[in-house]
Amino acid sequence: MDPSNSLVIETQNLSKTYKETQALKGLNLTVKQNSIFGFLGPNGAGKSTTIKILLGLIQPSGGQATVFGHDVQRDSVKIRKRVGYLAQDPRYYEHMTARQILGYTARFFYRGPKDLLEARVQEVIELVGLENKADRPMRGFSGGERQRLGIAQAQVNYPDLLILDEPAASLDPMGRHDVLAIMEKLRKYTTIFYSTHILEDVQRVSDSVAILNQGALVAEAPINELLAGDGGSTMYDITLMSETEAALAGARERVVSQSWVQNLSVTADDGLTCWQVSVTDEAAAEDQLQRLILEDRSLKVKHFGRKTYNLEEVFLELVGKENSK
Amino acid sequence: MTVQTHPHVSRDLRLAARQGLLPARGSGWLAGFGNMLAKEMGEWFRTRRWLWQLLIWSVILGGLIAFFLFALPVLNTLMPGLPTQEQVFVGTPPEVGAMIQFFSFLVMTGTIGAIILAQDEIIQEKQSGTAAWILSKPAARQAFILTKLLSNAIGVLVFIVAIPGLIILGEIFLATHKVPALAPFVAGAGVVWLALFFYISLVIMLGVMFENRGPLLGIAFGVLWGGMILRNFIPQILYVLPLGMEGVALGVVQGIPLPALYVSELISTAVLSILFTLVALWRFQKVEL
Repeated sequence: MDPSNSLVIETQNLSKTYKETQALKGLNLTVKQNSIFGFLGPNGAGKSTTIKILLGLIQPSGGQATVFGHDVQRDSVKIRKRVGYLAQDPRYYEHMTARQILGYTARFFYRGPKDLLEARVQEVIELVGLENKADRPMRGFSGGERQRLGIAQAQVNYPDLLILDEPAASLDPMGRHDVLAIMEKLRKYTTIFYSTHILEDVQRVSDSVAILNQGALVAEAPINELLAGDGGSTMYDITLMSETEAALAGARERVVSQSWVQNLSVTADDGLTCWQVSVTDEAAAEDQLQRLILEDRSLKVKHFGRKTYNLEEVFLELVGKENSK
Repeated sequence: MTVQTHPHVSRDLRLAARQGLLPARGSGWLAGFGNMLAKEMGEWFRTRRWLWQLLIWSVILGGLIAFFLFALPVLNTLMPGLPTQEQVFVGTPPEVGAMIQFFSFLVMTGTIGAIILAQDEIIQEKQSGTAAWILSKPAARQAFILTKLLSNAIGVLVFIVAIPGLIILGEIFLATHKVPALAPFVAGAGVVWLALFFYISLVIMLGVMFENRGPLLGIAFGVLWGGMILRNFIPQILYVLPLGMEGVALGVVQGIPLPALYVSELISTAVLSILFTLVALWRFQKVEL
């Protein structure tokens, strides 16, 4: 596998049907190596179903999926040797201690001297900060501690791919912060594919995002592209002050006549005029847009900048659009 | 050890190699087998289960035979209305009568015990999500089923058959100063174990097929008790189901040549146990976790 530009996960028309419910509808997904890939969607969108198919825990009804180039149905054990997985609601043997659970997990991957295995277990215990709880039975663990243990057991084999299903969903703000910090710590070692419906977390740590709704993919892009706007265009926010309408009309005429300008919408705000200009050529816009406006020296530009969306806006727009179809 | 740096070698193996760890053994059907078997055997021998099982079966089986051998003769002198030891042992010498009672009681109580012990093995792991956790690691589904089957077979052999068997031999020696012939005794215990294995494999298969205990226990106890009623009306059922295994075991222990019915029962019990295991292995491949 070429480490520089290889796909870790690839699905083609992946589908899953439960009786009469189509949980997944022809999903095409690609996850590149060394990315932190946020898999977004409302509850019931099909995120956990996709993850379980990738791990061989459920069988797809149609389509194909590969992880590290291995077919998820034929070579599931080979795939799982290189994957760490944290379930949405992780369950372990309640009578075992965290250390015993991690030792048990480690022995699925490794054999060797007992002290070396124990050293590896100690390493992951320290990674997630469970040193003080490591020798207590699971049944006394809080939600946050279980989640930490979940990350530790998912990391015990130095996975090339870490799959986390809603890693911060059941946690309080402090627990969420800790989990995201651990993910950021791990990002240099592994590809992380994680599902969530907490948009703030995705914006904070992800570099690529896919949005799933009602079993179908509605968007997949690097997060910067997604936040810059949809449809391949870039939006600029411009706030102008002018004493005459004619000056504004002239400037507008000059701007919309450019081939790279897709749309210009106008709103008024407290005596100022706000333009939202959608452009297809970002370089041309950066070079010429402000110059074109200021050709009329009576116009004053109070604000000029690329419009940035937050993920919530993008998510609500995309999911809302799909739901209204 | 040399650290491999070939680009096709997974990073985790390279890092582990630096620590002196090697990739786990087992592939295909056996992926994760050793680790899961060690864990399952640990459930029997490294938790308090061993102590409870030891107490339960020693008290039930050892206590009953001790009662017949030691307490009943004393009680007969105090309460003449009680059945005598000779009546309980059907006129056989104490060392033989005690064995007859042991094997008869062992088959019935042991079967109930084996069903109860195995009932949660698959269903609870499916319901709690621990099966999904285990099988997200490099562990084969076949190995998961086989370790459940094997650990229960060993646990039942040790705690329900072997240890009570040794206790009964000791009691017979203490009461009669005679030791029954060991080889037939062991062979008879093997017959009982086969009957118990039949029910373990049945319960494991049902655990794979159903999502809750109701149908599992209904079918398993239905086979046991329904079969016992049915055998009075349709004796041919004994040719295929292990409903008269205490008779087979006693025949083996006493060195009596086995009639065709018993031979057929032995063979069909073994064949059905294998069939149940194969169905469980096949069906578990399709179970969604």
